Amino acid sequence: MTTINNHPIVPMRLLIGAFILSGLAGCGAPEHTTTVDYDGDYPVEQGGSLVEATRGEPSGLIPMIAGESAASAVAANIFNSLLKYDKNLELEGELAKSWQVSPDQKTITFTLKPGLKWADGQPLTSADALFTWQLVTDDNTRTPYGADYKLVTKAEAPDPLTFRVTYPQPYAPALDSWAGLQILPEHLLKGQDINTTAFRRNPVGSHYYQLKEWRNGERITLTRNPNATQGQANIDQLVTRFIPDEASQFLELMANNIDSMALNPIQYARIFPARPDLNSKIGLYKELGNSYTYLGFNLKHKPFDDIRVRQAINYAIDKQELIDGVLLGLGEPVASPYKPGTRWTNPKLKPYPYDTAKAIDLLKAAGYEDHDGDGIVDKNGKPLSFEILTNQNKQREMSAVLIQRRLKEIGIDVTIRVLEWASFVGRYIKTGDFDVVLLGWSLSLDPDQFSIWHSSQQAPGQFNFIGYHNPRVDSLLERGRLELDPDKRMVIYHEFAEILLEDSPIVYLFAGYGLPAIHKRVKGIDNPAPPAGIGHNTYEWYIPRALRRNEISTQ
Amino acid sequence: MRRDLVIKALSNPLALVGFVIILGILVVATLAPYIAPYDPNAIDVKAILLEPSALHYMGTDGLGRDVFSRMLYGARISLLVGIVAVGIATAIGVVLGALAGYYRGWIDVVIMRMVDVMLSIPTFFLILAVIAFLTPSIWNIMIVIGLTSWMGVTRLVRAEFLSLREREFVMASQTLGAKDRRLIFKHLLPNSLTPIIVSSVLGVASAVLIESGLSFLGLGVQAPQASWGNILTDGKEYIQFAWWLSLFPGLAILITVLGYNLLGEGLRDALDPRSANKNK
Repeated sequence: MTTINNHPIVPMRLLIGAFILSGLAGCGAPEHTTTVDYDGDYPVEQGGSLVEATRGEPSGLIPMIAGESAASAVAANIFNSLLKYDKNLELEGELAKSWQVSPDQKTITFTLKPGLKWADGQPLTSADALFTWQLVTDDNTRTPYGADYKLVTKAEAPDPLTFRVTYPQPYAPALDSWAGLQILPEHLLKGQDINTTAFRRNPVGSHYYQLKEWRNGERITLTRNPNATQGQANIDQLVTRFIPDEASQFLELMANNIDSMALNPIQYARIFPARPDLNSKIGLYKELGNSYTYLGFNLKHKPFDDIRVRQAINYAIDKQELIDGVLLGLGEPVASPYKPGTRWTNPKLKPYPYDTAKAIDLLKAAGYEDHDGDGIVDKNGKPLSFEILTNQNKQREMSAVLIQRRLKEIGIDVTIRVLEWASFVGRYIKTGDFDVVLLGWSLSLDPDQFSIWHSSQQAPGQFNFIGYHNPRVDSLLERGRLELDPDKRMVIYHEFAEILLEDSPIVYLFAGYGLPAIHKRVKGIDNPAPPAGIGHNTYEWYIPRALRRNEISTQ
Repeated sequence: MRRDLVIKALSNPLALVGFVIILGILVVATLAPYIAPYDPNAIDVKAILLEPSALHYMGTDGLGRDVFSRMLYGARISLLVGIVAVGIATAIGVVLGALAGYYRGWIDVVIMRMVDVMLSIPTFFLILAVIAFLTPSIWNIMIVIGLTSWMGVTRLVRAEFLSLREREFVMASQTLGAKDRRLIFKHLLPNSLTPIIVSSVLGVASAVLIESGLSFLGLGVQAPQASWGNILTDGKEYIQFAWWLSLFPGLAILITVLGYNLLGEGLRDALDPRSANKNK
């Protein structure tokens, strides 16, 4: 199930849809003949359980502490935020009934819906919101997500339904940040150490579901919360199974043991079309994630400080070839650091075309020519060669090999090094000890990308690890944060994207589609996917009685 | 090795099979540039994951590269890694084993404790740990495999030296005033050659396996260079419908390892009078 990425900006280990199949299933696994008609019309009814698979087991279910995607996916069904995004990615109230921004744009006042309750029956009030804000900004709380909330100079809960925050100056990403903070119960957490509390394994929330059972190394079972603040979901139980191996996930999907997983392009475009038996019971969906894959240069290293070298490399990479070869066409070209098709994407911008002649000219202008006739361009006797670092991700490895070949054509010698994620980040990214990386950004919905591109964000562990520094971009990013009018913000970020494309500190490679596969017993899924993705209305999904698995029938 | 021994070894049918296999791989690896129908690293995104056909004898991989061509070049890697790694291991093993067996005393104690320490760590994990600190490359792999698999040879050579030293012909030579160097190189080493050769041939088999294993884990030969191990890794992703990516490299590794093992065991049976008697 997709959830809105509420983290400011996290570099993602795997892009959505980057899942790769591996395993040992024979072709044509025996399929018992079934007379169930999955395509028929069934009325909406409550009950049943939906089984999902995740690769890792969450370390806990307090999202601000746990941080990993497995935890936020489960926690998103347990906790509410003050605000949320609707299917068209517009903000609307979740726990809040409404919110007002003061005329000076520095204060936001949230009014909570009346009569809200926690799953244990206790009232949910603005005191809980205040408590959560105190937690996330507390220096003892080990969370990477505090920065947005530390900007708040004053937070108060004057009455049980009112929560008010004040910023020293207007802060445009504020509302987005409040859609990302899941409210925790004060009455259960007060006086406890949030980093170690037993609550992380035994959470009590206010959303559609509550924890029923957590079997270590096996599964988490959620059951419907009778006190849910947003009404009742149709499906009784959500089961999340931990299946680290994607091949096993795919086998389980084929064997009807799980209901949904994210496919890779090969499974989507090659295996499914060849298997009518799978098509008859499993529905395929396609949604563009809010993320892209890029080739990033270390701008502090020669020769990448030279814009001509960066542009030459950009011209020499055939992005369409990457989309066709790596994603089997299931991707979109990118020219702005935003999801293609959204308002923040500058529609005038086009990716650098594949043009080797131009690339060679640019290299020449930068002083790189093949003087010694070895096929590699050189300058002052030094050949132009570098290493592309990437992590163990099949799509990125394949992209690197394709890029390696294209750069060879213009006389650049590239080696590829594939690293395990933890050592990649710890040993190379945080120390800045790299020339070129092939990575992805997974973005929040707010267009603010201060932390990735602002020149002040270059300390070890911060996100501007490529060392990008452009005074004009710095000032645009600063202005973008202060501007609350969406139209004026759009102009700012369009100019930002234009400069970024021209500067070419990174080469945008592609934005891949997420390819969820969901068993056809699950009904009520929006297809085609709305901007928020198919997961936006999971509470409306239902499983007709006739299609349920493993349930005792009374007939 | 004496000619009659070679003939004797190859008269063992299993050894002959092994020999033919190894010879075949040697020929294929040497002639790879002439046999290969395609450039092993030529990418063709319009020909991704094609089934084996007259155009691509072993199909194509996830980037449209010709698997048959990649297999041929992979054979070179396998062979090279096997031989160089075992060469290093044997050189170290012979030197240390000779020192320990000939001089005995504290030299022997020191060397054998070193062997014990090395043997107490599972070789593959030791290699994994070392490779993690180095840039993965074919040269590093050969060196690391060589540096971590000399213990068997050392023990073997030491044992041979210990027993040979007490033999009459060595004593005779010693009494006639032969120096250490002469004793070692003229008498002890030539007479220890048989077990060294046998263990080297068997060692190649395990080096080939280790290289494939490392490449399979992504720590071996690096892209775009082909090795059987990394073709196999690519195949793992698509095993449900692209069987050719797993079958051919898997078979190649199996047959090669089998070949070295058959040859090694055949040689042992043929060259070692004790085991020859036992078997017949």
